[in-house]
Amino acid sequence: MLAVGGDAALLQTMRRWAGEADAAVEGAPDLPRGARLLAQGRWTVVLALLGDRPDEELTWWAEALRGVEGAPRLLAVADRPSMGLVLRAEKLGVLDLLPQPLRREDFLQALHRLRSAAGEVPVPLPDVAPHGVAPYALVGQSPAMVEVYKVIARVAGSTATVLIQGESGTGKEVVARAIHLNGSVASGPFVAVNCAAIPENLLESELFGHEKGSFTGAVARRVGRFEQASGGTLFLDEIADMGLALQAKILRAVQEREIERVGGTAPIPVNVRLIAATNRDLREAVAQGRLREDLYYRLAVVIIQLPRLTERGDDLLQLIAYFVSLFAEKCGKRIEAISDRAFETLRNRPWVGNVRELRNVIERAVIVATDATLRLEHLPEELRTDEAGLPGRSPTGLLTLADAEARHIARVLAHTGGQIGAAAEILGIHRNTLTRKVREYGL
Amino acid sequence: MSPGAKRLRPALRVEQALGLLPDIEVLAPLRALLLAASHPDERAKWSSSGPYLTVGKRAVLPAELREGMSQVLEQVQGHVGALYTACVEALECQQREDGAGAIAALRRAGGLEEEAGRLAQAKAWYEVALLLAERLPDRRPEVELLRALGGVCHALSRYAEGARYCQRGLALAEAEFDQAGAIAACEGLGLLALAQGELAGAQAWYQRGLRLAESREDAARVGQLTYRLGELLRSRGDLTAAAEYLARAHERFEAASDAAGLARTLDAQGQIDARLGRRGAALGAFREALAWRRRAPREASLEVTIRLHIAELAVDSERYLEAEEELRRAEQVAIAHNLGRQLIEIYTLMGALRGRQGEETGFVFFEQAIELCRIYGASPTTEAHVYHEYGVFRGRLGFKEEARAYLEKASGIFESLGQVAELERVQAELQRMSA
Repeated sequence: MLAVGGDAALLQTMRRWAGEADAAVEGAPDLPRGARLLAQGRWTVVLALLGDRPDEELTWWAEALRGVEGAPRLLAVADRPSMGLVLRAEKLGVLDLLPQPLRREDFLQALHRLRSAAGEVPVPLPDVAPHGVAPYALVGQSPAMVEVYKVIARVAGSTATVLIQGESGTGKEVVARAIHLNGSVASGPFVAVNCAAIPENLLESELFGHEKGSFTGAVARRVGRFEQASGGTLFLDEIADMGLALQAKILRAVQEREIERVGGTAPIPVNVRLIAATNRDLREAVAQGRLREDLYYRLAVVIIQLPRLTERGDDLLQLIAYFVSLFAEKCGKRIEAISDRAFETLRNRPWVGNVRELRNVIERAVIVATDATLRLEHLPEELRTDEAGLPGRSPTGLLTLADAEARHIARVLAHTGGQIGAAAEILGIHRNTLTRKVREYGL
Repeated sequence: MSPGAKRLRPALRVEQALGLLPDIEVLAPLRALLLAASHPDERAKWSSSGPYLTVGKRAVLPAELREGMSQVLEQVQGHVGALYTACVEALECQQREDGAGAIAALRRAGGLEEEAGRLAQAKAWYEVALLLAERLPDRRPEVELLRALGGVCHALSRYAEGARYCQRGLALAEAEFDQAGAIAACEGLGLLALAQGELAGAQAWYQRGLRLAESREDAARVGQLTYRLGELLRSRGDLTAAAEYLARAHERFEAASDAAGLARTLDAQGQIDARLGRRGAALGAFREALAWRRRAPREASLEVTIRLHIAELAVDSERYLEAEEELRRAEQVAIAHNLGRQLIEIYTLMGALRGRQGEETGFVFFEQAIELCRIYGASPTTEAHVYHEYGVFRGRLGFKEEARAYLEKASGIFESLGQVAELERVQAELQRMSA
């Protein structure tokens, strides 16, 4: 164990306690010297005595330990830790947050928790045969996905415009690529445009191209994505993020099969199959006047609705196995199993970001994994939450509505770093209401 | 419209908000507040546009701007008030024929402008003060002003002009036996020579300054110039000598408990380790540098620099996820501390990272960096770096015509600034493209 901060007497005491648990303690007087020792050795635990800015220090340590050899766990000690700090520590996956003065029982119990975490049971990962949709793959045989495959098979052969709907990260682009690869224009290009990522003032030139000098920044002639996709498929992702003026131009391009470059004078014929995708409710966007109704009906000839990851049942393990093998190969590692606790944690996750979030989590885990089993400690800090450690649980294990609300608000606040405005936006309530609830629940 | 529908309306984005603000100087503090008060759109976090989010795509709540406005107005009022006070004080000093007092007041005003990042305005104050200082029998204020002007010209990429100021300052300081002034002038000349790619010249100036500082037993200056020499040798590729200088600088800074100096030295050491392929040692040095930076609370900009180096290290070892995470942390620090100019560096590297991954949509980072160059009045050097990397990015993805156009733009800027080393790098890239 590396203990950082505190005086010689405390270090001496910790050495004595650690001796009782067959552990050894090295000390560093302050954060910079602690960082130096951290880089020089291999540690199982880092015990950090937090100073007068505990929140910042806790975050600093969580970052500093990321990717460090041996994946040491963080044990933090703070003077009168606040509720906010406890939540922050929980979010960051801190092994334990102990109050000052440090007590022998707390210290030994934390070491015990660490050791019990080591007793995880490996579950072998299944072999997965993904359906390649370069550079991605379709993985899973859950009933919800089989339905999706059926629609892909039906529409791929036609030239109908397809609208793919689904939450963020459900794999809309993968499905679009699958339709393209199994359709009549498979030999043509597949061009994807993310409408939400591109600044509004550049989207038109990105889609239709521009002539040199047609606006500031048009340093050379650019062939737009419509032209690039000619003879193939144009995939417009996050279509609802497009301004009304541009929507009209898209509609014209789709209907008349010709476009005009920004600053250009002659129409250019294009022949593309259009697939659009959105994570929003387009009918509501039409109702709000943010999406042209005629464009909606032009796009929604065939609609494919993608399921959430939580609706895909056993696909989760398949997807984990697929991503593990993908990233382990990239990192030159051999990972054959996932521990029961790690899998349980992944299974209980709400997966707001669906498959994209899972992919991200597994990639990060594989990077820090040190042996053939993916363990809980390899998962990102924010996943390693200990539900039992949170207040507000009744003896039956079920929460009251108020407790659930308080816990959810606390989580959102921790997520926004305490920003009331941002938290209110996420929760979909007015900031004054949120301020009142924060006071009411003593958060 | 139902209340639910109202909630689902997309948030107002920074790019939309900035588009509504006329490009006039009086709104600059509001633009800065807009960026600092913005927050990531949570709905976009896991969307396919998530990896391409820039400050322009962050969400802004007008209500939060209104809340923060009074604080910004207070700061503006305080700043303008301090400038007016300095002016009146200078006039009062002139009236009672206290030239030194008037110069001090004007210099203070220049310093305030410099702190606020208004470099051209700072230069104007210093120039007025210099006119007065030239008439004083005591030449020390003139030496100090020449040094300040050299520094501000460096930041404005007006290197030749800055060197002229520093040369004058050095000649004057030596004539007046003002050793502190001479040391500072040598350091300024070294920095300006370095900016123009004259590495041998820069080394000679630093060494001259170091000799003077050692003879004067000025520990702080010795540490600073030793560090500068280490950094210079690192950029020349003489890593062994650089490491020696940095180790000596480290000792000096540690003895002086100079946390910022230690952070800078460790950051430079980390870059040497990275060049030598010692990834673990490099990461250790960078992490320790970040730990020291925590003890230098005014050095948020240094933290961004260190994080950029950690990200570069990760990019070089193809650890793209780690690079992205580090860049996102740097972005948070830059936005929270209103370090708009550093956001330019962050987005340039983010764009380069996407280029390595073959992601065409990465162009949005370069476009954002160019936009920020305009908003923050970035130096031509910074702008040229963005165009250089943009050209490399386009070239990597096969858009030769655009790549060439951006590289030629960068080349033109570097040529006009007389930055030989940078110019050669860009021209080598152009040649590679033609081959």
